[in-house]
Amino acid sequence: MPDLVLLLAASLPSVASINLCADQLVLTVAAPEQIATVSWLSADPEESLLAAEAARYPLNYGSAEELLRFRPDVVIAGAYTNAFTRTLLARLGYRVVELQPESTVAEIESNVRRVADAVGRTERGDAIVAGMQARLHELATHRPAHPLPAVVIEPGSFTVGEHWLANELMTLAGLRNVAAEQGLDRWGSLSMEALLTSAPELVVLTGYRSTQPSLANAVLDHPALARLRARQRTAFVSGSYWACGLPQSLDAVALLQAAALEP
Amino acid sequence: MMVAGDAAPDDAAAGRRRLSAWLALLALVSAGASLVIGRSSGGPTFGFGAPELASTILFDIRLPRTLLALLVGGTLGLCGAALQGLLRNPLAEPGLLGASSGAAFGAVLVFYFGLAGAESLALPAGAVLGSLAALAVLYGLAARRGDFLTIVLAGIAINAFTAALTSLALNFAPSPYAALEILFWMLGSLADRSLAHVWLAVPLMVPGWLLVIAASRGLDALTLGEETAASLGFDPRRTQWLVVGGTALAVGGAVAVTGVVGFVGLVVPHLLRPWVGHHPSRLLLPSFLGGAVLTAVADIAIRLMPPGPELKLGVVTALLGAPFFLQLIMRPRPGAAA
Repeated sequence: MPDLVLLLAASLPSVASINLCADQLVLTVAAPEQIATVSWLSADPEESLLAAEAARYPLNYGSAEELLRFRPDVVIAGAYTNAFTRTLLARLGYRVVELQPESTVAEIESNVRRVADAVGRTERGDAIVAGMQARLHELATHRPAHPLPAVVIEPGSFTVGEHWLANELMTLAGLRNVAAEQGLDRWGSLSMEALLTSAPELVVLTGYRSTQPSLANAVLDHPALARLRARQRTAFVSGSYWACGLPQSLDAVALLQAAALEP
Repeated sequence: MMVAGDAAPDDAAAGRRRLSAWLALLALVSAGASLVIGRSSGGPTFGFGAPELASTILFDIRLPRTLLALLVGGTLGLCGAALQGLLRNPLAEPGLLGASSGAAFGAVLVFYFGLAGAESLALPAGAVLGSLAALAVLYGLAARRGDFLTIVLAGIAINAFTAALTSLALNFAPSPYAALEILFWMLGSLADRSLAHVWLAVPLMVPGWLLVIAASRGLDALTLGEETAASLGFDPRRTQWLVVGGTALAVGGAVAVTGVVGFVGLVVPHLLRPWVGHHPSRLLLPSFLGGAVLTAVADIAIRLMPPGPELKLGVVTALLGAPFFLQLIMRPRPGAAA
């Protein structure tokens, strides 16, 4: 029934997304026919979990003038996407949906529903959220009995604190975030000393463009850190799993759990 | 090149008028180019695209951008010229008094820490308050000892302090993305501004310009030294506060809508001084026009770049201005002792 498919597609609003996190939610929730454009970062495999999907659509760099040419019915943006662009698009009569960054799984679910409503696919949003709930139940059955002390080290010795998505994913996987226990609120840098005295049993590294030289990556070669890595268990998890809150972020829970349960 | 001091007075006046006329023409040409050059995901575009989008693209997107390039660039050029005259220091520029960095900090506070939400006018309001606060502190510090050196040093201190506060804000940014946006704000941009931003900046810029222009004869008198100027009936303090207050208003308005655009206020007066000689008053109009041209051209260059995220305006003004500036200072000058 190709005509019916076309009719359905025509009734769905066309969507433009101008933020990496919004892009990935749109790619997950919206129907392919209704996606007019996504932003350029989402087609970069170093940044995005859905780079291959994003590369099928025209890419934008997030300026109002280029978005106008796509004539979208809805524009999905992040709360920290250029405020001038968001304001101008709203002023020009476009429907702009701003997504707050997600720091909990509940906030991911709420953003999934917001995007689903905005693109006219409420049932699809419900189905994704139901799938996430089922996945969480399944993951909970494998959670280790005793939480394993762990720490995330991102390039530049950045780490995650209590009110940050990666912290919740660690907890769901059965890990204890030692940086959060030391009082780190959201995100920040953990000094080498604090890291060593906190005695994590699992070190989670997130590599970012690790083949490109940068000061941030050089930090990971610090001798103290190298010794810690040699002594403790190390897991590599792409930072893309929690840089944006996505249904796919739960994959990180599975990866962390596997690392924690490794004999 | 013609140097004003070498020519007869009438020739010199005619030369200055020609210079201003040329700069005005250049400003018009670059404004026209700025209106017809756009940018899509595939890089630069020329014209206005599909007919039904044309008026939106022209009036709602490119016109505000073009107007702001001229007004902000003109403000920076004018205030740079006035400050260099007032302080008799070639390093003076609007950023020096802390007005720019105070405005930038005010904007960052309002915007990224949700003090007033993300409404478009809250940001400029924060910038103006920041600029005025920096000026008030400067005034408080320098009011009793109102000599120029105190003002410059106090300005440098305020500048460093507000820059440090902005760095502190970066540290406490609610998310790494907010930190990135703050960083971009410090590099300036004209992208996606609307006419509302023009109407917000103009009521601050125009009184600022008028205050600075009102100081022009006082500035000329000051080139003879403070005591001589006073003996000629010009109150150095009055001149000083006209320039400082005017700069704070005009630059506060400019930074409020574009972020910090560097280099224009420093380089434009230097580029034009060889044509007009060493009377600060004669430098004001050409610097206004020259600043407008440099900023508009820089903003056009941004749109002519190959596909990719837009460059920031402050980056391009420095890239365009620095080579001219270096060439100027490396060239042997007639009467180099002056």
